[in-house]
Amino acid sequence: MARDPQSQLPLTPVVLHILLALSDGERHGYAIAQEIEETTRGQVRMGPGTLYGSIQRMLASAVIEEAPARRRATDANENDDARRRYYRMTAFGRRVLELELDRLNAVVQLARQKHLVGGARA
Amino acid sequence: MRMRRSFSERVYRTALLIFPPSFRARFADEMIEFARERAELARNRGVFDVARLAARLVFDLALTAPGVWLALVTHRETPDDNDLPRDNMDILAQDLRFAVRALARRPAFTIVAALTLALGIGANSAIFSIVDAVLIRPLSFPHADRLVVVNGVQGTQLGQGVSYADYVDWRRLNRTFDEMGTLRGQSLNLTGGDAPDRLIGSFVSASFLRVMGAKIAQGRAFTDVETEVATSAPLAILSTEAWTTHFGGDPAMLGKTLVLNGTSFTVVGIMAPKQAVAYNSVPDVMVPIGYYPNANGLARGTRGVSVVGRLKPGVTLDAARRDLGAIEKQLAESYPTTNAGTDAEVLSLRETIIGPSRAPLMILLTAVGVVLLIACANVANLQLARGASRVRELSVRAALGAGRRRIAQQLLTESIVLALFGGVLSIGLAIGMTKGVVALIGTQLPVDPTTIGIDGRVLAFALGISILTGILFGLPPALKSSRADLADMLRTRIGAGIGHRVTRNALVIVQLALSLTLLAAAGLLTRSLIALQNVKPGFDGDHLLTAQFRLPPAKYDTPDKIATMFERATAELRSLPGVESAALVRASPLSGNGETYPATIEGRPPVKPGDEPQLQVNTTTPGYFATMRIPLLAGRDFTAADRIGTLPVVVVNRAFADATWPNQSALGKRIRMGDSTWRTIVGVTGDTRHFSLNEHQLLQAYVPHAQRPQIFTSVVVRANGDGDALALARSVREAIWRVDRDQPIWRFRTMSADLAASVASSQTTMWLTGLFALVALIVASVGIYGVLSYTMTQRTQEVGIRIALGADARQVRRMVIADALRVIGVAVAAGLVASFAAAGLLRNSLYGVGPHDMPTFAAVTLVLSGVALAACYIPARRASRVDPMVALRSD
Repeated sequence: MARDPQSQLPLTPVVLHILLALSDGERHGYAIAQEIEETTRGQVRMGPGTLYGSIQRMLASAVIEEAPARRRATDANENDDARRRYYRMTAFGRRVLELELDRLNAVVQLARQKHLVGGARA
Repeated sequence: MRMRRSFSERVYRTALLIFPPSFRARFADEMIEFARERAELARNRGVFDVARLAARLVFDLALTAPGVWLALVTHRETPDDNDLPRDNMDILAQDLRFAVRALARRPAFTIVAALTLALGIGANSAIFSIVDAVLIRPLSFPHADRLVVVNGVQGTQLGQGVSYADYVDWRRLNRTFDEMGTLRGQSLNLTGGDAPDRLIGSFVSASFLRVMGAKIAQGRAFTDVETEVATSAPLAILSTEAWTTHFGGDPAMLGKTLVLNGTSFTVVGIMAPKQAVAYNSVPDVMVPIGYYPNANGLARGTRGVSVVGRLKPGVTLDAARRDLGAIEKQLAESYPTTNAGTDAEVLSLRETIIGPSRAPLMILLTAVGVVLLIACANVANLQLARGASRVRELSVRAALGAGRRRIAQQLLTESIVLALFGGVLSIGLAIGMTKGVVALIGTQLPVDPTTIGIDGRVLAFALGISILTGILFGLPPALKSSRADLADMLRTRIGAGIGHRVTRNALVIVQLALSLTLLAAAGLLTRSLIALQNVKPGFDGDHLLTAQFRLPPAKYDTPDKIATMFERATAELRSLPGVESAALVRASPLSGNGETYPATIEGRPPVKPGDEPQLQVNTTTPGYFATMRIPLLAGRDFTAADRIGTLPVVVVNRAFADATWPNQSALGKRIRMGDSTWRTIVGVTGDTRHFSLNEHQLLQAYVPHAQRPQIFTSVVVRANGDGDALALARSVREAIWRVDRDQPIWRFRTMSADLAASVASSQTTMWLTGLFALVALIVASVGIYGVLSYTMTQRTQEVGIRIALGADARQVRRMVIADALRVIGVAVAAGLVASFAAAGLLRNSLYGVGPHDMPTFAAVTLVLSGVALAACYIPARRASRVDPMVALRSD
C-alpha cells in the first residue's frame, strides 16, 4: 500500500538522526548510535532500548529495511561480525527525509527573514 | 575482569526479559553488543562513568519496554496507527512527569498501593537475598562445580563412610579425578594451657587441602609424605579463627608446639579466615590423617573416613561413580572378607551442603511470590476502580487528540512509576526482614550468615520485580482503556463501573484463592509441627544435663584405664549435690552422634552383606536407663559385674526384639554387632528417637561401657526434683577434673534444648509461612472490602430503588452478602483446587500429616470465609442504610 510520506511528519529528533545516519549507506545499530553521537557532538545519545525501539517502529513503517545478508561479509570497514544486522533507508524513507528537511529548511528560512539566525540576535 | 563482564552481561540479558519475546528474538544480541561496547568505553574512563552508564542502561530499558509492548499489542488492531514514533525519551519524560503528578493528586491511593507493593516486593527481596546466598551463589571454593563427596555403599545401604585403605586405592587407580582427599572430623583435647580445652579437629590428607583449595595465610600446607600413614609427621595447621580465639593471635605461633590428645604437634601453618573446608565448617586445627586416634580407624574393614575429590573437567558424577565402582569390584576380589558387596556413591559437594536447605527455602520463596501476586491483584483492582473514575480525564485527553496507544502507555507508565515507588519503599522493609529472617534461621543455613544481606544483586532483583510487577498489574487496566471506546464511556458513566465489575471480581477471587493456598500450606506445616512436638522421644528430657568429653588415647591406652576412669567419673557425678542420678553414654539422643552396625543373629541363616538388620548401637554405664527414664520392659540393666572377662551382654529395644523374635522372649538370645563377639541379650527397653524426632523407629542395642571401653563419651545427669539442670554444669566440670585435671569437657546442654533444637527448623518454616499467609489474608481481605465498597457506591441507585420499593435493611444486607458469598465460594473452590495441586511441594517437609489433609483444608476454608465475610460486613451495613431519596437524587 502506497502511503503518503507527508503523514509521517514531523519526525522526532531520534528518527531524523537515524535517517541522516543511514543517508550515505547501510549501518548496523551500534554504528548508527555512534555516528549520531559524533555528528551531534554528543548532544544526542541513546541507549540500546531507545535505538532498537525506534528501529523496530521504523521497520514497521517501512522507512528503513534490513540489508540483505550477503552484502555484509564484503564490508571490510566494519568490525565484521556476521551476526550483526545492517539497516538501510528505503526509497519511501528517503522521501520522508527529504520532505522533513524541506520543512526544516523552510523553518530556518523563516527564521532568517526575521533575523533570528546568523548573529541577528545582537 | 572477564568474570565481572559476563556477570553484568547476564544481568543485562535478564533485564531484557521485560521486552516482548518477538522483540528480544530479533534485537537482544545486538542490544547486548551495544551495551558491551558502551561498557568498555565507560570502563576505560573510570568507576563514575561505569555507574552512570549502568543507571542509564537501566532507565533506557525500563522506559522503552512499555512502548515496545504497546506497539506489539496494539499493532494489529490499529494498522493505521502505525506512525513513526515520537522521540521516546521525550514522550517518556512527559509521561513520567504526568504519572508523578497523577499519583501525587491521589496521595491516599498512592500510599496504600505503594505500601501494598512494598510489602510484597520487600518480602521477596528478603527471601531472595537468602536464596541467592544459599542456592544460587557458587560455593566459595575454587572449581566448586567439580568438587564431589564420595560415600561408601554396602549392599543397598547408601551414604556409608569409606575405609581409608579403599580411599588410598581409589586415589591411585582412578581415571576420573584430578585429585582426591580424605578427612575425619573429631575433636582434640588441647592441654598445656591454663585449663584443658577442646579444639574441633580435622584429620586430613595433604591432598584434601589441595582439593578444597584451602588458603594458607602464614606458613605452609602439609606435603603428601607428611600425611601418609606410615610417614605421618606431628604437624598442625590452625584456622585463623582458632588462632585468634584460643591463642590470642600470637604473632610467633608458627613453630610453636601444641599438645593435642597428649601428643606434641608443631604448628606449620595458619589458614586464611573463613576457610570452611570441612563440609562447610571451619575446623580449629588440622593434623595428618595418620594421627586419627582409633586403633582400627584406618583398617580396610573400618568405614570411618570421608572422601572428597575434584573431578577432571567434563567428567560427570555418573562416570566418576562407574570408575570407582570398577575399582571397588577389583578390591572385592582381592579382599572378599571386607569388601564383598561394596560400591561407591559420588555426590556433588554443593548438593551435599545445600541440599537440605532447598525445600524450606523454596517453600518460603513460593509463599512470598504468592504474597506478591496477591498484592499485584489488589493494586490492579485499585487501578481499575480509579480507571473508571478517571474516565472523564482520559476522555478529555482522547478528545484533544491523544491516541489510544498514548493513553494506554501513559497508564502503564503510571503503574511502573507506582511499582518503582513501592520498590524504593520496600528496600527498608527488605533490610529489616532479611535481618529478622537471618536471626531466626541463620544458624540453620549452610552459609556464613554474615554474607547474607541486601547487596547489588538483591537490589537488581528488587528493581526487576518492581518493573515486572508494574507491568503485571498495569497492563490489564492499560489494555482495557486502550480498547474501550472512551466517548461511549463518557456518555454512560455508570456503565464503565459495571464493565469492570467482572474483572474486579476475578481479581478478588484470585487474591482469596491464593490466600487460601498459603493458609493451607501454613496449616499443614502447623499440623506437622504439632505432630513433631507430640512425638514421644522415649525418654524424659526434663531436668537432664548432657556434656561430652574424649579421653586422650596416648594417656588412656588400655581398656582397663578407660573403664576405671569412667567408673570414677560416674561415682563423682552421682555424689554431687542436686544430682538425682548420672550415667555415661557414648552418644546421647539428638546430639548428632551415634553409630550403626549390621547385626548377625545366632541360629539364623546368613544374609547377603548389606541386607542385615542395621542396629544403632550405644555404649552405656549402669544406670543410664534409669537416668533417662527409658522403661526397662524385660530383663535387667547392666551392673558393675558386667566387665571384660565376664559374659558379654547386650540390651536391645522393643522394636528390634519384636521384629526379630515375634511372640517369644528375646532374653537369652545371642547377637553379633560388627565384630566377632556373641553377646547375650539380658534386657529389653522401650524405643527412643536418636538422630531426629521424625526418624523411622530405629532398631537399637546397648552394650556396657566396661565391656567395650571407648575414649569418647557423653555425660547425662538428672537434677533433683525440679532443679535447673544447666546450673549443674560447673560442678559437673569440677567432678571430671577431680578424676583427671587435664580432661576438657564441653557441649553443656540440657536435653530439653536438644529436643527444642530438633524441631527448630520446622518451627521457623512454619512461622514464616504462617506470617506470609497472614499478610496474604489481610491484603486479600482489604481487597474484597475495597471491591464491595466500590460496588456498593456504584449500586447506590439500585439499592435506593429497592429500599423505596419496600425492601428492608435486612434484605439489602442479605443481597450484598449473597453477592460476596458467590465471590467467596468461587474463590474457595479455586483455592482448594490450587492447594491440592500445590500441596505436593510440601510432601517432604511434612511429618505425621498427609499433603491432602481434609481437616486442615476444612479449617482454613472456614478461616478464609470468616475473615472475608467480616470484611464484607461494613459495606453491607452501609448499603442497608442508604437513604432512598439521597440515592435517587445522586447522579
